[in-house]
Amino acid sequence: MRSSYLRFFLIALLITGGALGQPDGRKIYLTHCASCHGDKGQGAKDEYEEPLWGRKSVESLARYIDRAMPEEKEEAVVDEDAHAVARYIHEEFYSPAAQLRNRPPRIDLLRLTNEQFRQSAADLIESFKRPQTFVPERGLRGRYFNVEKMNKEKEHILERIDPAIDFHWGGGVPAEKINQNGFSVRWSGSLLAPETGLYQFRVRTHNSALFLLNSFRGDDDKNSFIDAYVSTRNESHEKTGSKFLLGGRGYPVYLRYFTYKEKTASLHLEWKPPGGIWEAIPSDYLMPEILDTVTVVGTKFPPDDRSLGYERGSGVSKEWQQASTYAAVELVNHLISHLGTVSGLSKEQRQDPAALRSYAHQFAARAFRRPLDVEQQEKFVDRRFNNQADPMVALRHSMLLVLTSPHFLYPGLADNYGRPDSYTVASRLALILWDGLPDKKLLHAAGAGTLQSPEQITSQIQRMVLNEKTRRKMQGFFRQWLALDEQHDLQKDHELFPGFDEQLVRDLRRSLEHFVDEVVWGERSDYRDLLLGEHIFLNERLATFYGAAPLQGDALRKVTLPNRPNSGVLTHPFLLAAHSYHDNTSPIHRGVFISRNVLGRLLKPPVEAVAFKDDEFDPTLTMREKITQLTKATSCMECHRIINPVGFSLENFDAVGRHRLEDNRKPVDTVTRYINEYEREVPIGSIHDVASMAAGSRLAHEAFITHLFHHFTKQSINAYGADTKASLHAKFVKSGYNIRSLLVELTKVAVSHETEANPLAAK
Amino acid sequence: MTIPRSRRTFLRDLGLSGASLPFVAGLPSLQAAQDGARRQRLIIVFSPNGTLPPHFWQDSPGALKELKSILEPLAPYKDRMLMLKGLNNKIRGDGDGHQRGMSCLLTGIELLPGNIQGGSDTPAGWASGISIDQEIKNFLQNDPSTRTRFGSLEFGVAVPARADNWTRMVYAGSNKPVAPVDDPYQMLNRLYGQNKDRATLAGLLDDVREDLSKVSSRISSEDQQRLKDHLELVRAMESELKATENGKNLIHPEPELDPNIELVNDNTPEISRMQIDLLVNSLANDMCRVASLQYMRSVGQARMRWLDVNEGHHSLSHEPDKNKTAQEKLLRINKWFAGEIAYLASKLDGLPEPGADGTMLDHTTIMWTNELGKGNSHSQNDIPFVLLGGGSDFKMGMAHDFGGQPHNRLLVSLAHSFGHEIQHFGNKSQCKDGPLKLT
Repeated sequence: MRSSYLRFFLIALLITGGALGQPDGRKIYLTHCASCHGDKGQGAKDEYEEPLWGRKSVESLARYIDRAMPEEKEEAVVDEDAHAVARYIHEEFYSPAAQLRNRPPRIDLLRLTNEQFRQSAADLIESFKRPQTFVPERGLRGRYFNVEKMNKEKEHILERIDPAIDFHWGGGVPAEKINQNGFSVRWSGSLLAPETGLYQFRVRTHNSALFLLNSFRGDDDKNSFIDAYVSTRNESHEKTGSKFLLGGRGYPVYLRYFTYKEKTASLHLEWKPPGGIWEAIPSDYLMPEILDTVTVVGTKFPPDDRSLGYERGSGVSKEWQQASTYAAVELVNHLISHLGTVSGLSKEQRQDPAALRSYAHQFAARAFRRPLDVEQQEKFVDRRFNNQADPMVALRHSMLLVLTSPHFLYPGLADNYGRPDSYTVASRLALILWDGLPDKKLLHAAGAGTLQSPEQITSQIQRMVLNEKTRRKMQGFFRQWLALDEQHDLQKDHELFPGFDEQLVRDLRRSLEHFVDEVVWGERSDYRDLLLGEHIFLNERLATFYGAAPLQGDALRKVTLPNRPNSGVLTHPFLLAAHSYHDNTSPIHRGVFISRNVLGRLLKPPVEAVAFKDDEFDPTLTMREKITQLTKATSCMECHRIINPVGFSLENFDAVGRHRLEDNRKPVDTVTRYINEYEREVPIGSIHDVASMAAGSRLAHEAFITHLFHHFTKQSINAYGADTKASLHAKFVKSGYNIRSLLVELTKVAVSHETEANPLAAK
Repeated sequence: MTIPRSRRTFLRDLGLSGASLPFVAGLPSLQAAQDGARRQRLIIVFSPNGTLPPHFWQDSPGALKELKSILEPLAPYKDRMLMLKGLNNKIRGDGDGHQRGMSCLLTGIELLPGNIQGGSDTPAGWASGISIDQEIKNFLQNDPSTRTRFGSLEFGVAVPARADNWTRMVYAGSNKPVAPVDDPYQMLNRLYGQNKDRATLAGLLDDVREDLSKVSSRISSEDQQRLKDHLELVRAMESELKATENGKNLIHPEPELDPNIELVNDNTPEISRMQIDLLVNSLANDMCRVASLQYMRSVGQARMRWLDVNEGHHSLSHEPDKNKTAQEKLLRINKWFAGEIAYLASKLDGLPEPGADGTMLDHTTIMWTNELGKGNSHSQNDIPFVLLGGGSDFKMGMAHDFGGQPHNRLLVSLAHSFGHEIQHFGNKSQCKDGPLKLT
């Protein structure tokens, strides 16, 4: 943060340096350069038409001007003069910083983010298969048999839905009529992955089990993901495996088990989801319906740029270029070796060059999000098949070219100029709401040209919003808005907070996600409930730790915590704990987080970085007193008069989010005065007042709208016109602060904008 | 006799100047010439369900004279063969004869108690120790001068998909079975997959570049920068790939597989040849020094219709000696296996040993074995062990009869032939008398 100040200061020095008797860069530019480059470097018709924008340094520009400019009069601008011009154009319009300053944000041509690459690849394959449909039922379907001779199923005893596979039968049996001496079970269904990442799995049993994940039933043994078939001495044994899974999708699961002539019977199917801990796979993530397989790209990508606060595909680095190329290779190898199951082509068709060629055409068109033009057909498909004797090699080459083409990697290239046609709308809808490619319904609508009227578009959005893939993206939004991703390793002082262990943290995180899910996808979908909701989701462990009425089991239930102020996410113990020190509260962390993300206040980086050192204070002070003392300097108070009151209003919650009445043996004081964006003092009695203020503040609403817009579209909201924020706000208010309607409205804005033709490129 | 030469002399003899050194460094054969150490290899071949003793063993021990009918295909290699009768798999404990026959064959140690119930006896788990091929592989991999990319490769032909103690003979350690790869395409991909991908990419990047620059010319200049960066990176990748392509110098070219062989029972003969070709190729390019080739599994029920045998192999092997039709079919089956081994031997014998005298077969030991001595008696006595090739210092061209010695002693001998002088292998009490006298 400080270095950016420093840089600014240096630039300022350089500019003022120009006034001290050095050559006047502006004057020289207008005299010698502007006739070809335009007075603001925009280019001149019939002269040099390219604008003067670039990334060269002042020094390198100066060297170039000295040597080669102006053309045919190179000696006119040299040495000091060349340097002065370089400095002038760099500062005025050439450098990226100058561009940002001179030009309002525009809609960038972005590449796919890593998530978008993976989701698009999976969608591309899914478009040739049975689409995934989720059912509300949870758990896995189990069929129980008595066996003879090891694993020969003799008698079908029962079928039932098991919420989780977490059994220690010991010397007993799962149900009546089941024979302890030998029984087997076949479970089937799907695993629902909530987020994208590396999942670890573990099968623990005293007996025999085979676990298949994301593969077909037909040749199951060959595809078994975890093979715990052979046991030793009836001892508990475990086998593990890991798989990269895409969030918002389901994966077919088959689990087979038997025990034969063994004293002890047990079976546990466990996972460790990204950032989670080992546990039996909870029933929320198991579904008895068997879904089709998902094609998952496992190649590792470098992280996407997040410098604007949300992930976007703006960085084109060597690592990314290699990763995207090898991901394409991985994908094509997979497709070729599983062509029967991924292409929908019959065995005969797979031998038929014409059928393979036609598949290649469809594959390219779906990857490019619109039908191929004649030139593309020739280049991406026909040339491959005409030049290759082996149609499978041709198909491989064609698909590789398609997946490494900018038409796949830069979805904006699918847009038409002018009013968006149906293909443009379909492409944008799929990218914004799902991070992926159009599904069958969108493809159909695009082909029929029925994605034109606002009604047609709205009805598609409303259909798409309810899909699991939108839910995944919405959860991603909340992880970003509530800064959850930064909290993968939340730990507290064990002596001060016994019981605050990793299980509890996992439950807390799930409780928060549950709360947000319920608000967003509930009937009201009211933004204000995020801030004002008085309930919380707890299970036995959480209820005990936070002093609620006793509950039983792991399942989360909706309750109200007694004897404390409850204010939606703001008083959720996960966030309170996340924005605290390991042994104490942190009003500054809490205050900054709420001021920035929730209230929408603009806070400058601190003038001076000051660390909070607890042992430097009088030990009898409360945390509030210490922070007041620490930030009392005028330069600090410019921001801390906003931050501190918000933080102090939460001082009645300790470092793990439990309610407290005392701090350091003194009563907690939450009463303060907040300075709002109109420089007015607002009295604050408790966190309720902060929450009510946020729920009714336009600035807070606009912050929420902007965050949501950026997360879904990956583009700056200001690029869609100066009044977009205001008009979305008006609609938000009118809808009763409905989050889902807001998503529908912002999607409408982003899919309907017109792409301007590039005047210079038109020729 | 080979006179040891320094690398430099050898290169001069070939007319290569110092300038071409970096280029030549990729050639495995020349590297072998450099260190002067002898390359030794071991290939273990398994076929199931016992043999037909009268059609297999020479009637009396001594110099190997005439080969019995099963072994006829191996006649050209008679002088380089060793028949080892009188070796018994004496490992007892849990598991039925086929389970122990398979999983104790190369490990020489008991199975762990477990849950896999065979046709008789008590249920059992995996073997409780390492197999001899893995032991030798570890020995070679521990020494930089004999270390290879894979160390060992495990090939299979028509191995059923189930992983249990009937289907696994190779063990990396106690409770650690190693699965054979019975899909030649999968094996090819493991050996050469990355090269292939690189070559494909190198051939296509030109088009990717063309595509990028074309698109680039049509979009606004603000957006062009990103695509220009992208284009630069593709260009860089292209030249890197081309450089790797040029530096890639396999002494033996990557084998071409017929892409249309389906992995089904009736294609077993084709799959077998593909696997053998890959095996020989991986040895020739020095990717490993130890390999195994497992046909089916113990109790294998393959229906060898290509030999006009429609019954399952295991069922046939249960037929009594007096069933002449069954005997004749089993003869055909076992002779077919011998023919595959002859093909393997001929391939190796057709390739000169890089940097040394003789052919690759002269530096390789092939050991052909089985889980049973005889099918219908389920005997684990007189396990059919045939050694072939010059990879050991054993005196070849002999037929021995050890009269019922534990087969562990042979496993110890194999280790010794690689200079790995272990005192015992597997069950200690079966190794009291040390290695067999074969030299």
